[in-house]
Amino acid sequence: MASLSFSLSPEAIYQLHDALMCLGKFGDNVSFEAEFDLLRLSVLNSTKTAYAAFAFDADKFFESYSFGVDRRNMSAGVQSHKFCCQVLIKALVSVFKGRASGRNKDTSVERCEFELQDNPDETECLLVIRLICGLGVIKLYKLTYEPVYIQHATFDRSRATNEWSIEPKFLKEVTDHFGPSAEQLDIYSEHGKTVFTSFTTKIADGKEILRQPVHTSVAIDKRDFEYYLAEDNRHIAINLKDFKAVLAHADIVHARLTARFTTPCRPLQFAYELEGVKSEFTLMTRGEAVEDDGPSSSRAAAPQLSARQTPAPVQVSQQRPPATDASRMPPPSSRSRSLRPLTGTSVGASQTPAESQRPQPPVEFDSLFVPADDDRQWDVPNDEEAPAEDELGWDATGDKDTFTASLRTRVPNEESEAAEMDQEEETGIPPTQRISQLHGLGLFD
Amino acid sequence: MRFRTKLTNAETFSKLTASLSSLGKTCWMRLEPGNIRFTIIPDQGTQVWAQLPIDAIFDESSYILESNSGGIINLEVPIGALHRALRSAVDAKSAQLRLTQKGRIPLLALTIRTLSWAPGSNALGITTAAPAPAPAPAPGTGPGSGSSSHDPPTITNGPTQAPPPSTTTTTTTDTTTGPARPGRERETVITQEIPVKVFHESAVEGLHEPRCRDPDVHIILPSLGQLKSISERFTKLASPGHGFASDAAAATKPTATGASAAAPKLELSANMHGSLRLAIATDALRISSVWSGLVNPSLDPGQLSQGEMERLPSERMRAVPGDDEAGWARVRIDGRDWGKVLSVGRLSPRVVASFVHETALILYVYLPGTFNEEDSCLTYYINSYAA
Repeated sequence: MASLSFSLSPEAIYQLHDALMCLGKFGDNVSFEAEFDLLRLSVLNSTKTAYAAFAFDADKFFESYSFGVDRRNMSAGVQSHKFCCQVLIKALVSVFKGRASGRNKDTSVERCEFELQDNPDETECLLVIRLICGLGVIKLYKLTYEPVYIQHATFDRSRATNEWSIEPKFLKEVTDHFGPSAEQLDIYSEHGKTVFTSFTTKIADGKEILRQPVHTSVAIDKRDFEYYLAEDNRHIAINLKDFKAVLAHADIVHARLTARFTTPCRPLQFAYELEGVKSEFTLMTRGEAVEDDGPSSSRAAAPQLSARQTPAPVQVSQQRPPATDASRMPPPSSRSRSLRPLTGTSVGASQTPAESQRPQPPVEFDSLFVPADDDRQWDVPNDEEAPAEDELGWDATGDKDTFTASLRTRVPNEESEAAEMDQEEETGIPPTQRISQLHGLGLFD
Repeated sequence: MRFRTKLTNAETFSKLTASLSSLGKTCWMRLEPGNIRFTIIPDQGTQVWAQLPIDAIFDESSYILESNSGGIINLEVPIGALHRALRSAVDAKSAQLRLTQKGRIPLLALTIRTLSWAPGSNALGITTAAPAPAPAPAPGTGPGSGSSSHDPPTITNGPTQAPPPSTTTTTTTDTTTGPARPGRERETVITQEIPVKVFHESAVEGLHEPRCRDPDVHIILPSLGQLKSISERFTKLASPGHGFASDAAAATKPTATGASAAAPKLELSANMHGSLRLAIATDALRISSVWSGLVNPSLDPGQLSQGEMERLPSERMRAVPGDDEAGWARVRIDGRDWGKVLSVGRLSPRVVASFVHETALILYVYLPGTFNEEDSCLTYYINSYAA
């Protein structure tokens, strides 16, 4: 049994409303996670390619906040130190609908109280929201919630090798140039410019040239960034709709946006902080996993790799002798330990210090969602003889110029990966894990 | 085959494509050494044949056009996508359009440079004795040469823990443009690539402008904005159900035959005494608006002999007294289609309407500022429906 109640000032109500509107662009249900010092609202989208989370600080954001767990009587969704549940975003947003404009009316909202009822003696699974308005008007809303087990996207900031920060309005200007049919966004930099290219993965009929999507690329000066610490010519692609959702919210709250990422096919995180609110958006990226093969594999082979905590590029295993690879594999027990936080006991964004300092095997994967990754194997079979169009769809890049190289290199790589995988199976690595790693298209690998 | 030019008048080009895109999805764009033609021939509805001298929208000095078929290139262009792309160019400092190829797909690539002012917040509070803002680097030289020399170290040294951002920014600013400035011009380069089809000259040989007999009445239309709002009001009043539902349904599939056949027909008529009448009639209502005091332009006497001139139908109509109904030429047109035609009003052109009684309406749309009318004209051919 858990008890949670908090109250919000009008200002905080607007912030909460903005956050909910943003979360609503990622999914239908918002997850509440109450801890002793914060409340986290998060959404993991249905394809598990995007995770959005707002963490509200218990002291700074709320007028009052109280959370307690009765350990003798644990119900669903209650863990030793937190409580998780899920609510339909639409229902929650409708509570605050129209409140944003009612500031000057007599009956505008003066305070908002949330109370969660998780008592077997009373009505269970009810989220009660009380809007205390002027002139003694009280509006009462009762929503049902569903106790759930919440999945987090993990993202280890200390291992992100690329990072930039920018005012969201500059990026909004960029996205304004994209056409309505654009689906994906490729980002890279060269010659002091950062280039944003929109493209669409939909396979268009070859004859329907005029139906092909317009490619838009926008190059802005790196100096527009607050700082830009990302490798040149490192293409990374994300979903444009998710990107726009992040931008829209960051722009509303005037927060400077920071992006962190390592390599394509590994997650990218946008983050910004406001007074009492931390926002994090972890998105799947696509792109060419192998770009500068030589340097990265040699770096990966260097013994100090783990000490430097640079993330191991996904592709390193491809050209390394399997023996070396196998010798670096951690014992199964350590692997399973590394996965454990993903099942919900750890805080999403940053791993515990002990964990991140632990030597990382080069191909370690923090994939939470192994099943989602495995899904990919069903699509693969025709990889080898795939015609160009199929590869286009596959690679998720309609942009031939940008990714021609990847299209060509991909097939051989898949082959060598497969061959290598066989050998590694002999050394006792669980096959499912390997497949998910090697394909690496999911968000969390 | 080569085509490359700078845009001198992106706004006109953008408005032109917007007007055209309301009538059809694809546009035949014919590039000639001195002219550029846009033609839209929808399955149903109004045809547009537009011809502009290249200097109306392009920069003549940078206009390069080469092809094997007499220096002419015929393209089929998704006009809506072109319009969307051109919107990025409206406020731009410069914009270049060229024909290129990516893989096997021919493209019109539009490269746009925009400048905007960045406030000084990027200086991160660095208050070194900053002199007056350095002039913005010349496009093409500043960013490229400056940054490439010092960017690689930034990346290779980049520790995994985020270093203090200010150091990097400082070095960047210092090496490229001197000390931190209170503000600077930002340059943005936008590239829009629009897939197109290239036609051989033989594929378009059979296409020609509609021909019809000499018109009965020529008249200069009043303000298109006014005409459009009144036309739309009439159309709406006569629409089945007198509501928006049918409009909205038809708008989603404007070319669907069923939808436009059901749309109300406007009756447009004019005489040679400066009057124009817009009317609509249904079982329930009959309304009309009349403009008077409009101008009936006379044809260029240089092109016709005196005898031919007198035999023109329009001259016979001029002889009919103004209060005689016989002096009116009348056409019946689709209300919704007419609304799309009138969207050309955004170019604020001068429009001459030529009425062929009960047969067709031809609009000659002359763009403002280009009154060399032979050169720059959009011609709309609208069929009249039978009563």
